[in-house]
Amino acid sequence: MSQKLTLRINGHATTLLDVAADATLLDVIRDRLHLKGTKEGCREGECGACTVLIDGAPVDSCLFNAHSAQEHDIETADSLKDVLANELAAALAKHGGTQCGFCTPGIFVVLVALLRRNADPTEQEVRRALDGNICRCTGYTQIIDAVLQVTDRSAGRSA
Amino acid sequence: MTWIGSSPVRPDADDKIRGRAMYAFDLAIDGMLFARVLRSPVPAGRIVSLDTRRARAMPGVRAVVTAADGPATLAGEFLIDTPLFAHESVRYVGEPIAAVAADTLEAANIAVAAIALDIASGPAVTTLDEALAPGAPLVHPDAATYATQYGLIIRCEGNLVAQLLVDPDGVNQAFAKAYQVVEDTIEGQRQYQGYLESRNAVATFTDERLEVHVGHQHSSALRERLAQFFALDVERIRIHGYTIGGGFGGKLEFGPEPYAAALSRAAGGRPVKLVFDRGEDLGIATCRENSRVRLRSAIDRAGNVLAREIDVLLDNGAYMMDQALSPSLAAYIGAANYQCGPLRARGGLVYTNTPPTGAMRGVTGVILTAALEKHVDHICRIVGRDRRAYRVERLVQDGYVTPSGQVLDDAHILADAFAAVEAKANWAEARARARVTPLRGIGIAAVMWCVNPSPGHVKLRMNASGRVELVTGANDNGSGPLATAIRQIVAEVLGISVFSIDVPALDTAASGYDGGSQGSRTTQVTGEAARCAALELRSQLARAVASQLGASVEQLTFSENQIVNAEQPLKRVTIIEAARQARVCGASLTAEATFATPPVACTPVSASGLLIPFFPTPTYHVHFGEVDVDPVTGNVYVRRYVVCQEVGRAINPREIYGQIQGAVAQGIGYALYESLRLREGHYVEQSLEAYRMPLALDIPRVEVITLEHPAMDGPFGAKGVGEPPIIPVPAVILNAIADAVGESFERLPITPQDVLAALYRQAP
Repeated sequence: MSQKLTLRINGHATTLLDVAADATLLDVIRDRLHLKGTKEGCREGECGACTVLIDGAPVDSCLFNAHSAQEHDIETADSLKDVLANELAAALAKHGGTQCGFCTPGIFVVLVALLRRNADPTEQEVRRALDGNICRCTGYTQIIDAVLQVTDRSAGRSA
Repeated sequence: MTWIGSSPVRPDADDKIRGRAMYAFDLAIDGMLFARVLRSPVPAGRIVSLDTRRARAMPGVRAVVTAADGPATLAGEFLIDTPLFAHESVRYVGEPIAAVAADTLEAANIAVAAIALDIASGPAVTTLDEALAPGAPLVHPDAATYATQYGLIIRCEGNLVAQLLVDPDGVNQAFAKAYQVVEDTIEGQRQYQGYLESRNAVATFTDERLEVHVGHQHSSALRERLAQFFALDVERIRIHGYTIGGGFGGKLEFGPEPYAAALSRAAGGRPVKLVFDRGEDLGIATCRENSRVRLRSAIDRAGNVLAREIDVLLDNGAYMMDQALSPSLAAYIGAANYQCGPLRARGGLVYTNTPPTGAMRGVTGVILTAALEKHVDHICRIVGRDRRAYRVERLVQDGYVTPSGQVLDDAHILADAFAAVEAKANWAEARARARVTPLRGIGIAAVMWCVNPSPGHVKLRMNASGRVELVTGANDNGSGPLATAIRQIVAEVLGISVFSIDVPALDTAASGYDGGSQGSRTTQVTGEAARCAALELRSQLARAVASQLGASVEQLTFSENQIVNAEQPLKRVTIIEAARQARVCGASLTAEATFATPPVACTPVSASGLLIPFFPTPTYHVHFGEVDVDPVTGNVYVRRYVVCQEVGRAINPREIYGQIQGAVAQGIGYALYESLRLREGHYVEQSLEAYRMPLALDIPRVEVITLEHPAMDGPFGAKGVGEPPIIPVPAVILNAIADAVGESFERLPITPQDVLAALYRQAP
């Protein structure tokens, strides 16, 4: 069973024909829209590499049915260019918050969502927000340092 | 120094953060087919029949390959024992039997399911004990006929291969006169590297030319392995590199590449993409091996170790990947850190009917260090000594001789590292806190480790714009040697900006041999090659402008994009002018250099079997940790963790800090959570839901101290950084939990059940 699908993604409405009824949002984003910035790590909602924002809330796109995303606003890592996102991206770069980078777009969107709803999270709140994302390289410390810099809670130190 | 010791932003950071970085995972080529592998469902057996006719006839299927498609060659890094597809015998769950390429992944999945496979299950050995039992079925009945590489002699007795015995004089005499003999055992589990980008490759194989697109940690070795599998000249194989989504040792050996290649050839040269899904990747990753280590020490009344025995068995799995030398680390680590009489070391790899194991960060050093440091705590308990004081009194000293006869003249760094940790985390205070805090424990451990010396090659070309292209066969697995450190090295020598240096994607048609992203080597070894190439480029520039600046070549300094006469600083030219002028003078402004850490002359020792010949670039490190144990849940919380790491010379402090944070997280994972458990040859953990890697809430902020004792054979004195910080972590955590609950543990990971059982036994 395939059907037409209209997605509002990164501010543009796109209509796709012939999208399987059980297609995941991740597959549509990567393979139909060719937006490769959203990564695939496990396809079971464990690693968070595929996280996108749906109406501002982080969602594992590998578990989300593409058709259920119609009528909602979808944002991917590649599209986040507002002042807050740019500050966060710069802080992540400065603090060494990315190594291999494969988990990073998913972590980036989670943190943008966090900072939009809570401009001044504590370290524990940042850790809790990241609880759905696996980063195998960094041990998370420098990611957290980057967020705390953006919010000016520079309690943490980074070399 | 302008760049050495600074932490410029990684040029790849913004692309990675925003998802613009290109991984092979993201690659799509016109006409590309999608592939799936049929794997063995049993740990041992014989293929009775394999019928692919239905699969071949299915719509969209372009190729099906099996062992019958040949060539019937074997491959291997040390022992050449590995077929591409199982032929007659299957030796582990997950062993490839056939592969399909189709227009879509869905069609490939359906076709794989349509292959009729009949396997007669045979007797399997899936544990060390089963494999070593008298009369055990042999995983490789023909092992004695296998060829080896590098002229190695790899002995094989039953399922035991690659044995090592170091047996110096005096061990038996010491045991005979001991006050006590202290014995400990520990078993280590399999650990999945857990890189976020699962293994994948795109291959195009046409007219005896094979091109592979892949993010791989060791492209030079991959090329050789593909040449073995396809009986092809290595020159006909070209690897195109991509951003690597993590490796940790798991992408050093072949993975999907030869299967994509075989399918491409069968499909008339169409590009074939093979991506391991996560369960598949986890099921066949060349994970850290499960292991068993036994230590016996003959001690006197003061706790001095008169002699020691170490026995180590490592589960090799069904085929030998890069493990041949791993058992011999026992000979190094068994007598490391603290003074010890003669060491008898026995080690071996054990063939089992399980997925092949391989390198993971810190390789066998992790379990050996856990064994050693647990044993030292045990000795301290027996003789009633404080655990830190005992260690510090007995640290190995300058002049320490390794089992291969190498003299270490910088072992005093170990004492510096203990002192540095003490300054940050005072042991007596921490112990006092632990005494008044219920179920708190502390641990301290050290490691002496080495840096992989394999050769690296760098070619530099300066363009008329003054920018430099850096071509190398090395790769950046994410830890930053190409993104940061090697650029900083070249920038420092040439007096240009790190942002004026471009590193094009790896292409083996353009780059020289490189020993791969392993053993902490890239920044140090390939980095030294880069420094040498930069010096050559610098002298080409200097020769072109020296007379114009009225100076000899030696009087010129390079900084801030200018070449300056040091005697008359007003006489200067920009690098861009110099580059143009050099071209006119006939300089190519191209320079290349190779470097490998020179071997250390060692005296022969009484060893038989495979022994790592020398301990290249020794480094010395100390870790301290504090844990709390929850008596209700058995959960362990790492409250404080301190690392003192010796780095030679810090090229990029931020990236070093990042290596240490990440390595400690992986070490905590190994100590507490992560385990690929085998049940009759099948993994219990088959997904990331079951395989528990540390999350942000599990990991403390690691406190980092770096020591700098510049190396003779590293660029600006730098030594490798990536591996050591994982090695002592399970040792520290194990000893800290033992301190908290009152008894030690004989296997990793230490689960909540283990902790609760210990608390129950220790309850008054």
